[in-house]
Amino acid sequence: MEEALLRAVLFGTPILLASLGALLAERSGVVHLGVEGVMALSALAAFALALETSPLLGLLAGMGVGVLGGVALGVFAVTLRANQFVAGLSLAALGLGASGLLGKRYEGLPLANPLPEGGLALLALGLALLLHLLLYRTRFGLYLRSVGENPKAADLFGVNVEGVRYGALALGGGLIGLAGAYLSLAYRPSWTDGMTGGLGWVAIALVILAAWEPLRAVFGAYLFGLLFFLQFRLQGSVPIPSEAFATMPYLLVILVLALSGRTRAPKALGVPFERGR
Amino acid sequence: MRRVLTLLLALGLGFAQGDKLKACFIYVGPVGDAGWTYAHDLGRKKAEAALPWLETRYVESVPEAQALPVIDRFVREGCQVIFATSFGYGEAVLEAAKKYPNVIFAHATGVKRAPNVATYMADFYQVYYLNGLAAGALSKTGKVGYVAAFPIPEVKRHINAFALGVRAVNPKAQVLVRWINAWYDPAKAREATEALLAQGADVFAFTEDTPTVIQTAARKGAYSFGHYTPMLKFAPDHVVSGQIVHWEVIYIDFLKKVKEGVYTPKNLQNVDYFWLLQHGAVEMGADYGVPINPKHVPLLQKAKLAVGGKEVAVYDRIMTLLKDMQSPKPTFDPFTGPIRDRKGVVRIPAGKKASLEELLTMEWAAPGVVGDWPGEPK
Repeated sequence: MEEALLRAVLFGTPILLASLGALLAERSGVVHLGVEGVMALSALAAFALALETSPLLGLLAGMGVGVLGGVALGVFAVTLRANQFVAGLSLAALGLGASGLLGKRYEGLPLANPLPEGGLALLALGLALLLHLLLYRTRFGLYLRSVGENPKAADLFGVNVEGVRYGALALGGGLIGLAGAYLSLAYRPSWTDGMTGGLGWVAIALVILAAWEPLRAVFGAYLFGLLFFLQFRLQGSVPIPSEAFATMPYLLVILVLALSGRTRAPKALGVPFERGR
Repeated sequence: MRRVLTLLLALGLGFAQGDKLKACFIYVGPVGDAGWTYAHDLGRKKAEAALPWLETRYVESVPEAQALPVIDRFVREGCQVIFATSFGYGEAVLEAAKKYPNVIFAHATGVKRAPNVATYMADFYQVYYLNGLAAGALSKTGKVGYVAAFPIPEVKRHINAFALGVRAVNPKAQVLVRWINAWYDPAKAREATEALLAQGADVFAFTEDTPTVIQTAARKGAYSFGHYTPMLKFAPDHVVSGQIVHWEVIYIDFLKKVKEGVYTPKNLQNVDYFWLLQHGAVEMGADYGVPINPKHVPLLQKAKLAVGGKEVAVYDRIMTLLKDMQSPKPTFDPFTGPIRDRKGVVRIPAGKKASLEELLTMEWAAPGVVGDWPGEPK
């Protein structure tokens, strides 16, 4: 039982971190569909730097790439007011492709000093609490939420809408980068092409299921981690085919979170802001 | 006049191409994946280094439905021999073989042949049996974990050979199997290993394209066996041995015979390589040339098993059988009867060896295998 809870947290952590990153962007009104690609690039950057220098610098590099990814999305989605869905999907494809191309020489190498999963998991949990406080207890949080709900009104009150959105994308990007670094420096620890394996998409879905609330994202991510582990722990001891078991984490998380309350998206989500319109 | 010119041009082209044989490879994954495709590409490179008259090309990460356009391209570029390195390319290869009757095709792990389509496989079942012997000796809990890709005959044959080895040393041992339904999925491999560790497994073997199982097992001090490529470096204290492939042995033999005219696009109907230890197509090892990690030799020398009423050290038994199966005429085969499946049905009668057909269609589960077993015969 303790084993299952530990797996829930340790495998839930990368999903939680990526989810928090996307959540922050979305609360400011920007849809971040680039998570999978940014995570893949961060995982590679973190691993490459950890191999050449130290794991801690690797971690920072991963976060740095995440921030850059967020800012890049901002250039298209905020400044150029491009379609956010298209911009995000392009970022996802670009990140996955670029990481595969750039990572060739790091593939299949062991990492001598991996980072401890437990410490990073605690950090992630702490960050979720901090994010909750940031959103509901600080001025920046108020700005961020108002920009996501009604950017016109926020603008009238003197809030720099574009600045806040860039801030949310950069901060959120850092969290997504941390998720990628966790995978290649602690969870695996190694790097292979495609190692994010769709976790970025799970994280995006989780944002919606968690109703854009950081604390509910913690619950959802851990629940996914728990069920993902249980599909193997229970395989063979319950008369359910393994293929059907594999769908359980996805189905049950949707079911549980759907039943646990109403959800409402930030009103200005996905809508580019333009002054005077 | 024009005819003479055409002839001269054709001759000139022939000279320009020289006497090089052009062989082209279709890969299902990326060449750097450390598993299946990586091993094939290593084989391609070694063949090219060994055969000065050979020229090769490859296309990686070709989805199984996209094989035909790639083959079309290869033929246009003058490929004379095309190696399709995934089971799923089968239909495309047979279709292309009809379209291009003068091109030679070889299909890895394939079952259907044609006058210009051969099939080939480097199989690990003997190595799995030997690693099973070591696993049975090293497990303290009597529970050995196996993280398995897909429930298909190839993987089932390997698990069975491994389980027969484990049980030969410890008749009460269990081989706990978990299917991840993927060839490549580090997250599933990790969590499946964690699940098996939680259930008490302390030695691991697997079928997946990354060293994840090895890394995960080593964190908890559990032993493991590498798969497909040497994986010792990922856990130098815990990798005992493993299965290593040498595709180049098959590639070199095949291409030499094409070059010498032994194989033509008309006589491949019965050409099927199912190459084993005796051909050097596979190797038992934690690393190249290291059959058993020296760190674990003392433990395996201490452990004993009964062979024909006599006590023999497990290490000696492994080495004797390895030598026998590497010799040109092996006397031992892991699938020699009497073998019953885990339900008690006789699958191989006493004194008989499993036929190639029986090996290639194996669906039953060996005694000691515990867990879900899709497609298990009644």
